[in-house]
Amino acid sequence: MSPAIPLLLPWAAAAALALADGQRRLVGWLAAAALASTFALLCVLAGEVFTEGPRQIVAGDWAPGVGIVLRADALGALFAALSVGVLLAAFVHELLKGGQGRLFPALVLFLCTGLVGLFLTGDVFNFYVFFELTMIASYILAAYGGQGRELRAGFVFAVVNLLGSFLFLLGVAAVYHVTGTLEMQAVAARIRDAEPSAVVLIAVFFFVAFGVKLGLFPFHFWLPPVYASARPGVAAMLSGAVANVGSYGLLRFGADILPAELRLGAGVLLVLGTASILYGALQAVSRRSVSEVLAYSAIGQAGYVLIALGIGGTVGLAAAVIYTIVNSLNKTLLFLAIDLRGWLVGAAFVVGAFSVAGVPPTAGFFGKLALFQAGIDEGSVALVALIFVGGALSFVYMFQIYQHDFWRPDASGTPPAERGPRSSLALRAPTFAVAAIVVALGVLPEPLLVAGREAAQALGAIAS
Amino acid sequence: MTLIPALAVGVLFGCGAFLLLKPDLFRIVAGIVLVAHAANIALISSGLERGQSPIHPLAEGPVSDPLVQALTITALVIGFAVTALLLCLAYGIYVSSKTVDLDDLSHAEARDERELEREEVSV
Repeated sequence: MSPAIPLLLPWAAAAALALADGQRRLVGWLAAAALASTFALLCVLAGEVFTEGPRQIVAGDWAPGVGIVLRADALGALFAALSVGVLLAAFVHELLKGGQGRLFPALVLFLCTGLVGLFLTGDVFNFYVFFELTMIASYILAAYGGQGRELRAGFVFAVVNLLGSFLFLLGVAAVYHVTGTLEMQAVAARIRDAEPSAVVLIAVFFFVAFGVKLGLFPFHFWLPPVYASARPGVAAMLSGAVANVGSYGLLRFGADILPAELRLGAGVLLVLGTASILYGALQAVSRRSVSEVLAYSAIGQAGYVLIALGIGGTVGLAAAVIYTIVNSLNKTLLFLAIDLRGWLVGAAFVVGAFSVAGVPPTAGFFGKLALFQAGIDEGSVALVALIFVGGALSFVYMFQIYQHDFWRPDASGTPPAERGPRSSLALRAPTFAVAAIVVALGVLPEPLLVAGREAAQALGAIAS
Repeated sequence: MTLIPALAVGVLFGCGAFLLLKPDLFRIVAGIVLVAHAANIALISSGLERGQSPIHPLAEGPVSDPLVQALTITALVIGFAVTALLLCLAYGIYVSSKTVDLDDLSHAEARDERELEREEVSV
């Protein structure tokens, strides 16, 4: 299947639904249908890519090397399917809850288009265009319908990330100047012969741009207010789908296009990753509001991805991919679960909490296991100890917040289950579906591990 | 020849970064606009060379690079849309808080935080 089909479908749907009134139920469900079919198409595409190898087309039937390339390899197809799946769950959740604004369905579809486009593009500048499409949709979603607090968080979010985007654009300009091409594979081949000092600068531009997106330690300050003030469904989209852009960018531009610079900067990645893990975990332990805890936890979890990248090699890259998948599912599950009350919601939250802490039988266990393997491969006691301490701290903050939110009665003596109206079974369904996937991947981890290995090998394939 | 664009990029980026540090929402937006233009000029100067117009080269000789111009106009359009969005956000903040001064806004932020804390404690 051509990678263009899952890109054009949400794009056309978004443009059409932008004209309609998104508060009408029919429009919302049409958008959900478009998202679901995009998700199905991406799953088919990912299946084809995993069994038969990468798919590539050149837009407009131009000669290769002239036209813009769309390329679906194992890493891109996997991340696209994951992110659109997360968007689908969070969107259905918001739809069933109701009360979203006029443009909400169209914005989510634009977000979906941007994500699919940037995961499936093979062109550096095209990546920037889809990157901006994704980010503009997320700025609006983060601030949408908000009053003072949401708008202030949205403004800081937009300014900081725009600065990151323009640094990325400067990096793109430098790449074009140094290599004379924008096609990722050609860039990867030619940049090895370029002047090292210029290439290091390019690598720094890209690293800062994606570090901002991912919310890594020195670039994290915009993240907690945004996640804490956005609606839970939107926070799930931002932390489950949009944050993947940062991990994907680091993997694609670091491991695929600039592997020598990634090795050169491995020490920096390990130090910043460690700082992120400790800072995120300690801040999360000291917070009492559940969305703030999850926001700081997101900073910490980004640190693990960075550590895995710093270790590098097939084992390290596979660990980074697996950990990103697991983290994206965890955050989606937890942000959706805190919005609900009723039977089994606590259980869904506990599944997410176990998964963040890396306790079996959840997918998080295999994320942590992959990291431990990478750490042992590296032969570093300090790294293994760090991963263990980070895991122990995440266990503390997750269960602190679980006890606070789901066990203890509040000051007026209301038990947690009666705080707020009970959510309907349909509203709880998307959350349960994500929880079921997290448990299923914990019991039968084979697909997760194979996906991580294949994606990591796809990265090495271009580099070598 | 590359010195002039390099200087322009440097000056624009520097002014933009300076404005970004000002405690005023609209100056921050202006700072982002300047940084965006620094990136645009860097983009156009990444393929800067003398030559004939590429749409219909008449004589023998070098042809200038059309790709960077296509890239830059795309980046300009994106920058324009983003500026409009930022101004909307800044206006929304002005309407809800009646100020564009960052110090006043951070006082409001701290007040909101304290109210949240109080709710938490009473919970």
